[in-house]
Amino acid sequence: MTLFDLVVRSMRKNLKHYYLYFFALILSVVLYFVFASLQHDASVLEQTDTSFKMASGFKAAGILLLFISGVFLLYANSIFLKRRGREVGLYQLIGLSKFTVTRMLVTENLLLGTGALAIGIGIGLLVSRVFLLLLMKLIGIDGVLTLSFSGAAILQTIFVFVALLVLTSLQMAVAVKRSTLLELFKVDQSGERVKKPKTAVSAIFGTLGVLLIGFGYWLSGHMLNSLLFFYMIVVLVSVILGTYLLFRVTIGWAIFQIRTSKNGHLGLSNSLSLAPLIHRLKANANSLTIITVLSAMTLTMIAAAYSTYYSSGKESRLMEPFDYMIVGDPSASDQFLKLLDKADISYHASDIEGFELKGDYEKELNPMLYYQDVQIRVVSESQLSKAGLTIEVNDPQSGVLMAGYTHWMLKSVETPVNLILEPGGLNKNVAIERFAEGNAFNDYDFASIIVVKDELFQTIRSGYKESGEIAQINTVAINLQNKDQLKEATELYNGIESSGKRFDYYTQYQNTLQSSGMLIFIAGFLGLVFLISTGSILYFKQMTEAEQEKASYTTLRQLGFSVQEIMRGVIKKQVFVFGLPLLIGLLHSIFALKSASFIFMSDVTVPTVIAMSVYIAIYLVFAFLTVGYYRKTIKAAL
Amino acid sequence: MSQKTTMLEAASIRKSFGTRGQVQQVLKGLDFRVMEGEFVGIMGPSGAGKTTLLNVLATIDRTTEGSIKINGTDISSMNDRKLSQFRRDQLGFIFQDYNLLDTLTVKENILLPISVGNVKRVVAEDRFKSIARTLGITELANKYPGEISGGQKQRTSAARALINEPSIVFADEPTGALDSKSAASLLGTLAQVNDERDVTIMMVTHDPVASSYCNRVVFLKDGTIYSELYRGEQTRQQFFQEILKVQGILGGDSVDAL
Repeated sequence: MTLFDLVVRSMRKNLKHYYLYFFALILSVVLYFVFASLQHDASVLEQTDTSFKMASGFKAAGILLLFISGVFLLYANSIFLKRRGREVGLYQLIGLSKFTVTRMLVTENLLLGTGALAIGIGIGLLVSRVFLLLLMKLIGIDGVLTLSFSGAAILQTIFVFVALLVLTSLQMAVAVKRSTLLELFKVDQSGERVKKPKTAVSAIFGTLGVLLIGFGYWLSGHMLNSLLFFYMIVVLVSVILGTYLLFRVTIGWAIFQIRTSKNGHLGLSNSLSLAPLIHRLKANANSLTIITVLSAMTLTMIAAAYSTYYSSGKESRLMEPFDYMIVGDPSASDQFLKLLDKADISYHASDIEGFELKGDYEKELNPMLYYQDVQIRVVSESQLSKAGLTIEVNDPQSGVLMAGYTHWMLKSVETPVNLILEPGGLNKNVAIERFAEGNAFNDYDFASIIVVKDELFQTIRSGYKESGEIAQINTVAINLQNKDQLKEATELYNGIESSGKRFDYYTQYQNTLQSSGMLIFIAGFLGLVFLISTGSILYFKQMTEAEQEKASYTTLRQLGFSVQEIMRGVIKKQVFVFGLPLLIGLLHSIFALKSASFIFMSDVTVPTVIAMSVYIAIYLVFAFLTVGYYRKTIKAAL
Repeated sequence: MSQKTTMLEAASIRKSFGTRGQVQQVLKGLDFRVMEGEFVGIMGPSGAGKTTLLNVLATIDRTTEGSIKINGTDISSMNDRKLSQFRRDQLGFIFQDYNLLDTLTVKENILLPISVGNVKRVVAEDRFKSIARTLGITELANKYPGEISGGQKQRTSAARALINEPSIVFADEPTGALDSKSAASLLGTLAQVNDERDVTIMMVTHDPVASSYCNRVVFLKDGTIYSELYRGEQTRQQFFQEILKVQGILGGDSVDAL
């Protein structure tokens, strides 16, 4: 029998062990291939070429994906190797040299890898169309699907996975080289010796873990200042460290306290949940921390991307309150209105006047903003409302300030705040009664807009006229009655020649939709990969544990415990194993989103909840798979 | 002995393995009875059906034919769920390789069988203390199986078998993995428990020394009862000699006895 025969035979015999690793391999190939073919797809390239941000986003996502696939495969491979320790030991026992055993394992690995590559690319070819369709839909393009058989994507995938196969083969070689026969036969015996935790030390570190997380959470709500970047790093470090301590010490300490208080009367379900958890604490702490942090990252990423996408329409509208605006070019606006009439598009057009001056706030509003010599644009409440934008002003002597993109920095400033208009000239003091979100002109420069009552508007204007030359802007705001005609009207609008600045809602909306659509696609794709990787890792780990504990289940069944009773304990354990990382990851991401909520002008609770629910649902599938595997194992135990 | 009730009664039990065409009959119509408070040893060469008999009587496996009554309850017609319940309430088990849960301490292991019952914690604690004292493992309560010797593990296993105050304890080669000193000490304790607590014990063993601790030894050969020996008033040494004689006649097992 040649070595190759032996390999084929052992593979056929061991299908049960292989399918785990094989599945992981195929999955990685499929996801990577789909991504690669999208990257090389002509219609996607067309989109990404126009935007540097998108192109670099795609590239960064590709690298990240590569990284995840690599880590995932190496991890799956290490679990796989552990499970086969006995077999490897046996080969050595009957006299095969380490080199031969390595050669055998590597041959197997290459066979598996080639198979997975072929199958993965095959499946990838089938499903990449679906993903492309989804992407096109998300970025609002209904084009003909052009996805062609991409040789470049296949080559790229093959290249990447051959490299990964070499890496995993090296991992195998190192594992065999380092192993001793004695160890190899012991791998199935479970875990570490349980040491009684030093109560004082664990109590301190356990509390420290919770404190660190709490501190990180607290700081994340107080970091909007010039040290933002530094604070972000502090938050990240303290939360990650806290999470590690939580898994490594706090939870072990808490479980140990419960266990001690039971004084031996542990009960079946605790015996099957708390005891094994303590037993494998050290081994599990690392992976649980990584999984928690990854989950938190993924959740934050997906929720943020989805929120951006979800609110893109609303936010475009906030920044572009009117469908069309033509600034200081009456002939152009006339031309446009005539064109609209001709095309039989009904509209509402209205003039808005404003004038620009400088202003000083009485105090610093936010350390990141200038508060003196600020560009201010004054506009009257009645004109805005005539044009279709209602901004309510209560006090005739005060105004409402709209700061556009910098609104998030002013949200929490207490009102009223005094604003001195044109200091040195006009010296008019206006109280700001509130900061409103959005914009009153379609224009977005860094000027803030103050909306005031008509009388105050006139007063400022006349006073202003006396003090110097007036910088007045006259604009025409146009709103369509039927928003379905926006596309048609925008084409007309773009066809007009005008020297003035002009801004329209529809173009802005399309741009936002496209970039946020791309963002959510990339985030969703990566999120899916993260989720599947972390879920699979938990699943694989639990599978291994189930195998290791098989003997215990046999004993328990012989002692007369029913499958249901044993399952209750197992499920309790899974609640810990799956629930804890999920719960803590959720908490982390909620705080991360809260501290990052300044990015969004609108409330993102709804999209966040939706994104998180989807994540939880997929995550739970892995938990159910795991419980199912345990049930099978326990049923077969007697 | 005459007032004692029958604890276990098996009538013409048969057990076959394999599927059509390749059926192998392991138990061939066995009649067997254990009285309350008896310490019965089952001996016989490999393949005689010792372990199969034990598994069948202990409700871990089912018979192909025949009926088994334990403490007046017919177990041959019970479903799996009821059988589990029955094992937990009425039976105790001691295995050759201890089968302790590595993740639990000695005390937790011992208390496991009564963890899902209506035994009050105070009662459970009392039982634990008394059994641990009898078996000499009180000091080990908070140790893990990985930290104690084989003999101590088997004592733990025995304590676990006794904690639910079973009608009958089944022991499968309990000394098989022990050195002779630990084995003797464990068997002495089992005999003492049998004597003092009136616990019925049925033990499968290869070892004539081990079976010399019993009140009665049943020899199996090829799935049927070959012979039976009562200890009566003999000393353990005399009983041991008798067992050896029967084993000699049985033949083939001398290789086995090594």
